[in-house]
Amino acid sequence: MIVTFLRTAVIFLTLVIVMRLMGKRQIGEMQPFEFIVTLIIADLACIPMADVSIPLIYGISAILTLFILHQLFSLLEQSGSLVKRIISGKPSVVINKDGVDMLELKKNNLGIDDLIESMRSAGYFSLDDVSYAIFESNGKLSTLENPSRESQQKSVPLLIINDGKINSKNVSLIKSDDALVKDFIQKNGCVLKKTEVLTVDGNGRAYLKVKNQSYKILNFELSKGVKW
Amino acid sequence: MVRSIISMVCVSILLLVGAVVENHHIDKHFEEFHSVLEVLYEKVDAEVATQDDVYAVQQNWLKKKKTLHAFIPHNEIKEIDMWLAESATLVRDKEWQDAISKIEVLKELTEQIPNTFRLSIENIL
Repeated sequence: MIVTFLRTAVIFLTLVIVMRLMGKRQIGEMQPFEFIVTLIIADLACIPMADVSIPLIYGISAILTLFILHQLFSLLEQSGSLVKRIISGKPSVVINKDGVDMLELKKNNLGIDDLIESMRSAGYFSLDDVSYAIFESNGKLSTLENPSRESQQKSVPLLIINDGKINSKNVSLIKSDDALVKDFIQKNGCVLKKTEVLTVDGNGRAYLKVKNQSYKILNFELSKGVKW
Repeated sequence: MVRSIISMVCVSILLLVGAVVENHHIDKHFEEFHSVLEVLYEKVDAEVATQDDVYAVQQNWLKKKKTLHAFIPHNEIKEIDMWLAESATLVRDKEWQDAISKIEVLKELTEQIPNTFRLSIENIL
């Protein structure tokens, strides 16, 4: 029983560390240690239940160990902000007044497409629809709406440049090409390599965020016949 | 918070008591069984063992395994059952050398199984 206790504790702690290193992408509305408990408790219950050659006490002692560790981590979380930060991580401000913070996204192993996806789930289709977006420690996105947001969006923005790379498939959807996109970037005084995000919607409304600069809302000249 | 601490302490005590009981129970039963096997080994070595001696050992094991089922994997219990059954046949046929090797395996098993429950790095990793 004591061996089971220690083995469970070792696996639990390893999973907590791995989950914390993986960032917020893997978590869904739970703290990392809660997610781990959910993840392994089902197997712990199932294996001794289905395999008659394993004494039930193995499963029971492992489940009780998880209970102790869960309670201990909950208490530690409440004990101070530093401990909470170590165990569960801290919220990350991924959109601020200057626009998307790519560094903060990368710290959490997230990409701009993950952010856009989370924003769409929250009802925002354009990156400038929010003044602030925060990825909470449980992986949930909290947003503060931009007061100047257009309430009736007519077209969904497409991700054209993601961290210096052109998404040719999306470029073709707005009936443009990579050369025109590069030209647009150069006209606005920057280079492709330093362009963190460029989104363009069907009306030519562009969101451009260059490294170490605030985002800009520009007009991207679209050719006629764009149905996006 | 108080409720959490109390529940945590209670479950920890429960696990600790369980661990002590488990270790004590396994050690005691296997030590007893090992000494029974030792007597059988000496009799087989002196070529005076009878089938009844092995049956007595089997009966002894039968009583012990009822409670051991709760603590050790059933495959390990089955392994002891099988080695014992083989020993009984070999003693009946007076194949002493083969019987001795089977009993030696049994003795080794009764030493090794309790070791898997001890607090050691090998068992944890």
